[in-house]
Amino acid sequence: MNGLQFEALLPYTLLAAASLVVILLIAFRLSHTVIQITGFILMCAVMVALLQASALLPVAIYPIFQIDGFALLFTGLLVLCVMVVGLFSFIYFEEREENPKEYYILLFLGTLGAAVLSISSHFISLFIGLELLSVSLYALIAYLRNRNNAVEAGIKYLVLAAISSAFLLFGMAMIYMETGSMEFATIAKKLQTSNGHSILFITGTGMMVVAIGFKLALAPFHLWAADVYEGAPTPVTAFIATASKIGVFAVLLRFFQTIGLSNYPMVITVFLVLAVASMIIGNLLALRQQNLKRLLAYSSIAHFGYLLVAFLPGNAAGVQVAVFYLLSYSITLLIAFGVITLLSSREQDTGDLALFRGLFWKKPVTAAVLTLALLSLAGIPLTGGFLAKFFVLATGAQQQLWFPVTVLVITSVIGLYYYLRVISTLFGEAVPTPVKKTLHPFFYLTTYTSLIVMVVLLCWLGTFPNDVIEYINRQLLIR
Amino acid sequence: MIGFLINGLLRKQLSKSLTSILGSGVILGSFVVSLLIFFQVKQGHTAVVNLFDFISVGKLSIPFSFQVDQLSSIFLLIITGVGFLIHVYSAAYMHEEEGQHYARYFAYLNLFVFSMLLLVLGSNYVIMFIGWEGVGLCSYLLIGYWFKNIDYTNAAKKAFVMNRIGDLGFLLAIFWIIGKFGTVSYGNLFEQVAANAKTLEGSAAIVGITLLLFIGATGKSAQIPLYTWLPDAMAGPTPVSALIHAATMVTAGIYMIARSNILYTLAPFTNTIVAIIGLATALFAATIAIKQNDIKKVLAYSTVSQLGYMFLGLGVGAYTGAVFHVMTHAFFKALLFLGAGSVIHAMHHEQDIRRMGGLKKYLPITHLTFLLGCIAIAGIPPFSGFFSKDEILAAAYAANPVYWVIGVITAGMTAFYMFRLYATTFLGQFRGAEHLHGHHPHESPAAMTIPLIVLAILSVIGGWVGIPEVLMKDAHSLEHFLDPIFAASSKFAHPHHLSHSTEYGLMGASVLLAVILIFFAIGRYSKRPELGEPTGFGKVLANKWYVDELYNAIIVKPLNWIGKFLNNFVERDVIDWTVNGVGKVISYSSRQVRLLQSGQVGSYVLLMVLGILAFFVIQFFVKK
Repeated sequence: MNGLQFEALLPYTLLAAASLVVILLIAFRLSHTVIQITGFILMCAVMVALLQASALLPVAIYPIFQIDGFALLFTGLLVLCVMVVGLFSFIYFEEREENPKEYYILLFLGTLGAAVLSISSHFISLFIGLELLSVSLYALIAYLRNRNNAVEAGIKYLVLAAISSAFLLFGMAMIYMETGSMEFATIAKKLQTSNGHSILFITGTGMMVVAIGFKLALAPFHLWAADVYEGAPTPVTAFIATASKIGVFAVLLRFFQTIGLSNYPMVITVFLVLAVASMIIGNLLALRQQNLKRLLAYSSIAHFGYLLVAFLPGNAAGVQVAVFYLLSYSITLLIAFGVITLLSSREQDTGDLALFRGLFWKKPVTAAVLTLALLSLAGIPLTGGFLAKFFVLATGAQQQLWFPVTVLVITSVIGLYYYLRVISTLFGEAVPTPVKKTLHPFFYLTTYTSLIVMVVLLCWLGTFPNDVIEYINRQLLIR
Repeated sequence: MIGFLINGLLRKQLSKSLTSILGSGVILGSFVVSLLIFFQVKQGHTAVVNLFDFISVGKLSIPFSFQVDQLSSIFLLIITGVGFLIHVYSAAYMHEEEGQHYARYFAYLNLFVFSMLLLVLGSNYVIMFIGWEGVGLCSYLLIGYWFKNIDYTNAAKKAFVMNRIGDLGFLLAIFWIIGKFGTVSYGNLFEQVAANAKTLEGSAAIVGITLLLFIGATGKSAQIPLYTWLPDAMAGPTPVSALIHAATMVTAGIYMIARSNILYTLAPFTNTIVAIIGLATALFAATIAIKQNDIKKVLAYSTVSQLGYMFLGLGVGAYTGAVFHVMTHAFFKALLFLGAGSVIHAMHHEQDIRRMGGLKKYLPITHLTFLLGCIAIAGIPPFSGFFSKDEILAAAYAANPVYWVIGVITAGMTAFYMFRLYATTFLGQFRGAEHLHGHHPHESPAAMTIPLIVLAILSVIGGWVGIPEVLMKDAHSLEHFLDPIFAASSKFAHPHHLSHSTEYGLMGASVLLAVILIFFAIGRYSKRPELGEPTGFGKVLANKWYVDELYNAIIVKPLNWIGKFLNNFVERDVIDWTVNGVGKVISYSSRQVRLLQSGQVGSYVLLMVLGILAFFVIQFFVKK
């Protein structure tokens, strides 16, 4: 490893260091506030390091890492998500029974795992990153260990994740057997010569898809999503919904871009079925949902179905669209979960829709923010969600993938119903739900501010996306 | 626009005087600007001012830009000048309204002027269409101003719907233009057309486009068959009738055709249609006007008739003549309407002329200005109406002597019914005593009479910008001014030249006929005004040839029937059933799928494995 590689790896080193710093801070018995602020500063430092590293790209740390513009985009997105999640965590955990300090260790380790996924170009780093992410999540989900919901959710996630990891390893072993290497580029070369229709490769990919499908909550591997989203603490749910999926999607994109997805129509078919099934099932499940957290879980299923439609063509335009979509989707979900965090009381997370009734009349700003986030999820124009969905549609239509595009349109329409149902609940008759605020108002203020900033970002994405798209394009070209 | 916003939004707070000053003030400002623009343009500075890109799709680019040239500046002056006078007049006329309705009136009026300005200033058909729709909307709002009366709102609806039918033609024309030429900007379009004139002349595209545009014009400018809304529109306040239905909105159609003159020159077939319809409308409306008893209705039919003249002028290629007549008509028709308003105001909202009479001594200023307006419209030299009407008639004769004959007959009728109106209203005995409970009517306040005077002066001298060659050399300044607009057209037109003696003869004939009929009308109606109901053929005329009833039977009733049928059968049984059905199916599926979420990890694992198996099966089935 030479100096250049070290410099390029700096952000990730900093991420790892963050966890260590937090451990040290805990050892010195410093307060939650200090840890929170330090964590936030460290994440900012990671961003700065990323920006600095961007000048050096692309750097390959053969054979396991490839740090390029693509990685930069995804890592940046990840860190942003984690910063916001950390912000939410503060007011959430401060009031809860558990000691919140160790939470941050796990959070940063999970982020590190996701970040490693985004730079990995080798099966080993893929697996390590994935496991790092998963193990952190096991503990994070069940963090509030005295609540039944949480433990149940944690166990479910553990069991299903373990199964999917097993499938992943088996699939990777098969591909290794076929090509003799675990590094993406070499695999691609070997597959080209052997004409890629070998049984081993196809079975191997099929098995890997299990793990990917599980992590991204794609049907039929989606069954954990609702229970886990509901049972986990809200900031953790936000983390699962955004950061973990971003990381896994990054490596998925990278792997299939390297081996050239368009050469393997069978793999494309698998993803097509995944996408269509997710879109349909996600939307159908959410239709009658009365709990906002479960509803958002089901809608995530559907959204990743939509995203896969952009992924199917396997060309550069698709990647660009996918990144944009992930960006707007993350912002939207963070807003939604932020609102839920703000409204949660000590005993129980505010998930039930009945508790949201008439929110507009009591807290108009919060309700407006949530409404905008839901509109973005539904794909209403002027929000980032609309443009993202539009681009996905355009990419699909360009490649003449008429079946998934039609399903996308139809299911979006179905989806509109439950989003609007939530919005109309917000405007309903007011129901008194006292939420005691016990912390210093500064923290609530920061959370509100971050929510509003994100809403503004979302609307900006929805109306003037050109700058962002150009930036994404430029970064993607650095490989 | 600013006036509209302020008056419209603050209407509950503003006092009456503030409202009227604001409303009129902004128009005055516009007028001043229009004057400045006019002088610039006179020196030859025309411009196209691009504001922003309105629609930009593929190869089609429609900018939101204004075109300031001779034609638009003339119309600008007319609109803002006459508009300003009418605003001042309204301040006094509408005085009885309470605060917020007063402000509403001025708000609508300002919005109307805004839309009209947009119409004439636009540099492409799309902007014109925006203004077109805007004036249609304001016409609806203002006709139905006293919305508590259901008859009035029905009239407003009728106006709007008939306008809409015409608008459809306009829209289709725009689409065709885009399809065929790829641009709607006047500059680009006319250049293209001029360059390809030989191939385009008489082609289906040009004829089609011009016909569709003309359909739009018939709706807006009240020609056969879409004219019946105009007389009903008299339900609105009189200044509204003056502004919208005499001087400006109805002339939008003329403006459109004048602007598109090169297209029309290349489509002689359409020109003939335009001329014939214009002529027919002129004649038809004049016959109805002879037997009307409501002051405003007479003037309304007179407007329809004069508009017919303008279209006749356009149809025979006398573009300048038509625009000239727009100008002079704006003066004397606005004058006549405002005068009628003054009479109505003095008679406490009585509009039936059979209950007036002898107003000459009670309303001196109104009487004098009204008389001047009547003389102008009858086409007696040296008043303005003579010059503009004559120019059209001369061109009509050159195109086809039959046109001229019918035109002169109509001119005669115009003189006749106008002076019938004048005589019945102002001469003879005062018959309105019982309506006014024994009081005498008195003259209107200055805010109303001053605009009357100004317009009267304009009606007298306004024609002197267009003195034809036969009478004075090189005196047709209007024609010189408008040359650049019609230059391209005149290259392809087949101009007709008349000898001087023919022109003198024509002029003399029409003036003579008019004078004879004027004296006949005065003589007859001042002594023995028609007080009873009309009988026989007169009844047909008075009932407008039963056209409204015809339309009702042919169009309105069947449409209503279709509407009911569609509602009962199609809407309820077919569509509702389908939509509700879809909803039920989805709901059901949702319930079933949800049952899979049992909460048992074991079942989750089972389903995952089943999914994997399914994938393998699919993969192996997709083998080539």
